[in-house]
Amino acid sequence: MDEVLRIANSMGVWLTAAPIVIIALVQVLLYYRQIYHAADAVNLKPEQLRKAFHTGMVTAIGPVVAIFIIMVGLMSVIGAPMAWMRLAVIGAAPTELTAATLGADAMGVKFGGDGYNLEVMAVSWWTMAINGVGWLFLVGVFAHKLEDVREKAGGGDTKWLGILSVAAMIGVFGYLNSRNLTAVSGPFVASVTGAVSMVILLQVAKKMPQIKEYTLGIAMLIGMFAAMFY
Amino acid sequence: MAAEQINEQKYHEVWTTPVIRIGIWTMLIACFLSFIPLIYLYMVHGILPPFAQAMTAWVLVASVFGAFYVVEPISYYPILGLAGTYISFLSGNISNLRLPCSAMAQEVVGVEEGTKQAEIIGTMGIIGSVVVNLAGVTLAAFIGTWLIGLFPQFVADAFRQYTAPAIFGAVFGQFAMRQPKLAPFALGIPITLLYFKMPIWLVILAAVFGTIIISRIFYKMKIIH
Repeated sequence: MDEVLRIANSMGVWLTAAPIVIIALVQVLLYYRQIYHAADAVNLKPEQLRKAFHTGMVTAIGPVVAIFIIMVGLMSVIGAPMAWMRLAVIGAAPTELTAATLGADAMGVKFGGDGYNLEVMAVSWWTMAINGVGWLFLVGVFAHKLEDVREKAGGGDTKWLGILSVAAMIGVFGYLNSRNLTAVSGPFVASVTGAVSMVILLQVAKKMPQIKEYTLGIAMLIGMFAAMFY
Repeated sequence: MAAEQINEQKYHEVWTTPVIRIGIWTMLIACFLSFIPLIYLYMVHGILPPFAQAMTAWVLVASVFGAFYVVEPISYYPILGLAGTYISFLSGNISNLRLPCSAMAQEVVGVEEGTKQAEIIGTMGIIGSVVVNLAGVTLAAFIGTWLIGLFPQFVADAFRQYTAPAIFGAVFGQFAMRQPKLAPFALGIPITLLYFKMPIWLVILAAVFGTIIISRIFYKMKIIH
């Protein structure tokens, strides 16, 4: 296992993990530039774009702290460069751990246990990679077809298209919450307190618009701390 | 900012077409780059995953996640839009990071849902989140182990366990305020299906499209507008 982690943390692996992290950055830079080209055509002003970018950054801080902490845990089992690569692209920590474990399972070895040699590690890496590619490939090849579907579903009724987007959002988050609501527990308290705080904060923000971009971050912290004291 | 003022052809030229071009290329390049560490392992250390076991592992992992490859892009598309979908599925962390950041950007700028402005503003919010995310994981990779020692254990635990549920709750609250009549269905459908131990991919599809279908019925009956 020591030998495995020594190679998993070697300079060569750092260098080979970097390109995909860089492509994720390049992609957003290209879209950032494209948004400034397109803004005029949809009557958006540069200050609105800046505000959106800033809000995205502020809202991301809380969840990124969580990702940071989870990643440090992941680093101890798959090595720092692989954890860095896998968490910079599709697939959150539980997905990657499941994939790495299934790779070891296919070799008949316990993940991170005795017999977890370089060959088993290679299968773990392969499994994480091929799993991520499932999403990357299908979205790369088919995403633009989904636009046609949405246009058909919208049928040119802009009001309905707005309701459809809101309904999809409520549906997705209904599902995400449902898994925390089946039993009264820490996550249950976090979810309910987070929801109530957000509703109150958005009411407050109607009178104090300057706090609006921080509302989700604050609601998250309130939900988190309520769960800690549960 | 009426939607009808937008020149459709120009929009296509300066947005949709380049978005698709950038999206396809970056996603396919990322597919290839996913395997570089394995190539390195083979070239430098002479280690290759044995073929039969690699195929077994692929079948195992696809049986767990395969349905999500299809279900997630379809379910999230109406919210993320085209560019948002490409970015979100390359950078990951969609439910806990991309969706909330897209929604908050739209909320703060004050655009109407489902419009072209909303799509671009949402995408901008997602881009902001990717920048912070990449900075965060890079920091974690280099000084994470040292920095984590500075956190009290219970704070680190709270972040690890409760940020996702708290955010899920908060975003649900935010959107339930817009269409309160849809909220009971959005929660009721998945909770019922979970109770009957249905597979997760089916629960996602039923929650999203069930809520959309009910919103369509309510819209036609003029119960919501």
